[in-house]
Amino acid sequence: MEKADILKKLADAVAEGEEELTVELTKKAVDAGLSPVEIINDGLTVGINIVGERFGAGEYFLPDLLLGAKAMEAGINILEPLMVGGEREYIGRVIMGTVEGDLHSIGKNIVINMLKAAGFEVFDLGVDVPTSKFAEEIKRLNPNIVGISALLTSTMRKQQEIIEFLKEQGLRDKVKVMIGGAPISQSWADKIGADGYAEDAIGAVKVAKSLL
Amino acid sequence: MKFQLVSEAEINKLREATMNVLNNIGIATTSDKFRSFLLDNGCKEKNGRIVFPQPVIDKALKTVPKEWSITGRNGDRVVEMGKNKANAQVCIGMPSMMDLDTGKRRDATLKDLEDFTRLSDALEFIDITAPIFPKDVPQESLVTLEVATLLRHSTKPFRICLESHDEWPYVYEVLVAVAGSEKELKEKGLGYYEVSPLSPLDYGKGPAEAMMDVIEAGLPLGMDPAPVMGATSPITIAGTVVQHMAELLVGVITSQLMDPGHNVIVSPRSGGLMEMKTGVALWAIPEMGLGGALNIQLAKSWGLPAGCGCYTGASKVADAQSGYEHLYNALIPALLGVDVCGSAGSVDNALIGSYEMLVIDNELSSVIKWTIKGININDDTIALDVIENVVNGDGNFLGHKHTRKHLRSGQEIWTPFICQRAPYETWEMEGMKRLEQVAKEKVKEILATHEVEPLSKEVDAELDKIIKKAQEALAG
Repeated sequence: MEKADILKKLADAVAEGEEELTVELTKKAVDAGLSPVEIINDGLTVGINIVGERFGAGEYFLPDLLLGAKAMEAGINILEPLMVGGEREYIGRVIMGTVEGDLHSIGKNIVINMLKAAGFEVFDLGVDVPTSKFAEEIKRLNPNIVGISALLTSTMRKQQEIIEFLKEQGLRDKVKVMIGGAPISQSWADKIGADGYAEDAIGAVKVAKSLL
Repeated sequence: MKFQLVSEAEINKLREATMNVLNNIGIATTSDKFRSFLLDNGCKEKNGRIVFPQPVIDKALKTVPKEWSITGRNGDRVVEMGKNKANAQVCIGMPSMMDLDTGKRRDATLKDLEDFTRLSDALEFIDITAPIFPKDVPQESLVTLEVATLLRHSTKPFRICLESHDEWPYVYEVLVAVAGSEKELKEKGLGYYEVSPLSPLDYGKGPAEAMMDVIEAGLPLGMDPAPVMGATSPITIAGTVVQHMAELLVGVITSQLMDPGHNVIVSPRSGGLMEMKTGVALWAIPEMGLGGALNIQLAKSWGLPAGCGCYTGASKVADAQSGYEHLYNALIPALLGVDVCGSAGSVDNALIGSYEMLVIDNELSSVIKWTIKGININDDTIALDVIENVVNGDGNFLGHKHTRKHLRSGQEIWTPFICQRAPYETWEMEGMKRLEQVAKEKVKEILATHEVEPLSKEVDAELDKIIKKAQEALAG
């Protein structure tokens, strides 16, 4: 296969969310002498952008998006060991976690995948994340945005606690805070002084871009 | 009345699959207490999860009570479980309310909890109260305050959801104070006590240990995880019902292993669906009604008391869409023998409380209960002699005693509460009101007039003390 042909097939594999095929084609691309950066920019990213376009056009749904992101990640996992480091360019860095006492991950993970697909570098802190851990990770990773998820009406107050803690630690001005979760509303976001809130994952990407 | 959604052979297939989940896939738990209890009682570890061998399940399911009841604080309001009565229950945990005056969404307050509970107390066909989630009070000790508020503003039995072990002692103290003693609390129950493990098949420390608290206290237990099809359970109704039934049975089994004969109800929420464009969890038609109903048919095949999400829909307000969504989602499970019809008074997929919708759901509950009561078939209702008598007499039934008798009996003709059925001219003269307006006026009328028999001054003061103690002890 020609290099251009491999890249096109690779983009299609990501667009169709075919993880195994993506892995196979990524290896082929490496064997054909393409650099990791070329494979990411002209293959995988082209594919994930198609996913985004189709989602925006109403042809694709959330499972398509997650499968596309999984395929892309599988390709990147093969390329990462081959990269010299610092070669990828992201539009911004985000850390995200679900608050302490709350084990729900689905909503957070959808947003993470949407953000990744939009070109953000995202660090997932997981679920049941203590307030202090958010602060530590902000210090360590220096993200543009911290995303705080809570699904339960009983745990959403933790979002407020985290914002207050960031103020105490002198970190509040260093990072934009986005919150989300089923019981969360714009009025709650305003009340606790969050910078961004969106009702769904599509809105979350728009808000995240606007906060950069 | 006996309806089936699927055949007996299909139910057996679902039963086998449910057992397969328990035997082979099992649950995760972060609670050491729960894990040790299960392992000490015949469960096994498999890939870090806990599985339930068939003999453990069979033994536990043998002792599950098929019928039991809960009694409100005054002793006169009783809710029966296991008798297929479609008892209507207020929606739990709504963090927002539709403001009665502005018609817009806003945070729920303690005043809303008081008013919503008092409104439920007044509505004849709402049987069980439950707390919305007020946001203007300390959140760490919320359940204590909620239970006290439910008991202050209604004499009906309630349903609450417990999330952790930490707050339980204060909640329990409130219950004992109102019941009079531990013995009276056990007898009445006052309500039933649910926990909500995570789907798929994950009993976190909070719900697992809260569940054990409820069983140890001898109070009726409910299981209420809420899977979202396509996200936390399979996108197929059959797959969701199987996974969900297994999650629910874990609670049932635990209750029977800890205390054989313990009163327990399962509250499946099968049919909740992730809207695949936005990720919003829908509790809408038709999946919620079908998923709930299938889960009820399956649960009832083991003789388990069971309730489901019934009065739900995706509409944001109390409008025509809410009306048909709620009726659809409630009527199908009701026809299959549901014991509790949940989510009354909710809009927006059970996330927003609506005073008007609670009044409308009361009306739906009335006609649903009427429907499942069945139709009387006997010589008197078939009325052959009356027909003969009339056609040979003055030709109409209006002046016949049979008509008056059955009109008065209250068993043949349903009486609406808010439906508008007057002649057009009357409706026009009265301002051409839409049902939402009638419901809103009914809310205002009830809130302005309905009084609940208060708790004694001593008990009321005691509750204040307990709430204060809980707030001080639990403040983050």
